[in-house]
Amino acid sequence: MRNSSHLTLSLIAAGILAACSTTPPQNPALTDARATYNTARSNPQVTQLAPLELKEAGDTLDKAETARNRGDDEATVNQLAYLTAQKVAIARETAERKQAEIDIERASARRDQVRLEARTAEANAAKQKAEMAQQIAEQRAQALAAANAQSQRDQTLIAARAAELEEARRQAALAQQASDQHAVALAEANAEAARAQAMLDQQQQQLNTIKAQQAAAAEQRARELAEANARAEQAQALLAQQEAELKELNARKTERGMVITLGDVLFNVDKATLSAGGVSNVKKLADFLKSHPDRRVVVEGHTDSSGSASYNQALSEKRAAAVETELVEMGIQSDRIATRGFGESAPVANNETSAGRQMNRRVDIVLPDESATN
Amino acid sequence: MTTTSIQSHARLPLYAAASLALGLLAGCAMTPPPSQQMAVSRAAVESARAAGGNQYAPVELQQAMNKLDAAEQAMAREDYAEAKKLAEQAEVDARLASATAHSAKAQRASAAVEEDIRVLRQEIDRVAR
Repeated sequence: MRNSSHLTLSLIAAGILAACSTTPPQNPALTDARATYNTARSNPQVTQLAPLELKEAGDTLDKAETARNRGDDEATVNQLAYLTAQKVAIARETAERKQAEIDIERASARRDQVRLEARTAEANAAKQKAEMAQQIAEQRAQALAAANAQSQRDQTLIAARAAELEEARRQAALAQQASDQHAVALAEANAEAARAQAMLDQQQQQLNTIKAQQAAAAEQRARELAEANARAEQAQALLAQQEAELKELNARKTERGMVITLGDVLFNVDKATLSAGGVSNVKKLADFLKSHPDRRVVVEGHTDSSGSASYNQALSEKRAAAVETELVEMGIQSDRIATRGFGESAPVANNETSAGRQMNRRVDIVLPDESATN
Repeated sequence: MTTTSIQSHARLPLYAAASLALGLLAGCAMTPPPSQQMAVSRAAVESARAAGGNQYAPVELQQAMNKLDAAEQAMAREDYAEAKKLAEQAEVDARLASATAHSAKAQRASAAVEEDIRVLRQEIDRVAR
């Protein structure tokens, strides 16, 4: 601050020049200007960023102080105080502008950094998306390849089925043809069958007729058979009867038929005539033969070995003839009788003994078997 | 000061006396026409307008322009002391308007960059999710 001597001088000078106004020692405008300048000067932002502007404000303040101290009129001091205040304000605004520019500088760097981060994040996200899309695309490609392979297989199958179908159609056409042919043949066959059926019916009718006839004939035959059976039974009965009769006649069965032996006692000794017993035997035979007119007899005479062969031969023949004669007289026709003499050629016993000889002296009457199938 | 119909030659001593009186009344010495100051002040006002003072420092700019007009008027009536004073004030007012406009624009730009950063950070967060 200025010393009091300067102040006094200023006051005196101001008093001398005081033609228009008085200058009070304290100027409010200047005081305010000084205060605002001091505040700005203690603000590091202002001192660092707007030193020139602050200095200009300070210079103007000095001028204002000087003017006051010199005792210049109030208007001048006020003017300088006003200019000072405005210049201080300019310094402040300048400092703020520069600070804002510094902030912009720093912020731009940060923004570039953050922009880089953002772009990186975007790029990573896009990359992830792309990778996922790639994966999906690969999966889809695989699925498509599988589907294609499947489609190929299906195509092959379809082609095979189509070929089969074609073949089947062809076969069906052939079968249809064959069927048509068969239908024609069938129609013919049916006609044929109808004709055959007609014939068959006819034949059936004929057959029926024949059957009826045959049935009648069979009946007839059955009747005949029955009759024959009856006859056979009759014959059997007759035969049985005959046999029984023959048994009564003492006939014995041989391979030649029934044989009745008229023994020696039935003849007169050394004669060819029948005894009474002989006659009765021959009578039984004759009855038999009358009962059975279909039977024949073969009379065979035999002798023993005594005497000559020729003699015996004649004798045997005579004996056989005697039987025949007897039979004829009894009513048996001679064509039913055959005679033979065997002489001594067919002995049935030992001629050495008398019993034996007696046995050899016989007449065999053979009744040949007259079977129903004769 | 109204002009009379007196001839210019006769006006001079009248004006001289008037100026002296005014100068004495003003308490200062007789000042020459402050042409340089006027030029500087006009330039400063133009500069303030160009810097966007209308938008960012309308009050200060209007004040500067008013004072410049008043200075022009003082020049016209040859009140050079008044003209100089008003012109000086118009100059600092215009310079303050410029500084305010520049500062405001810078601060807006700074805020814009901060906003960009905020938006970018949001993007990162969104993408990171």
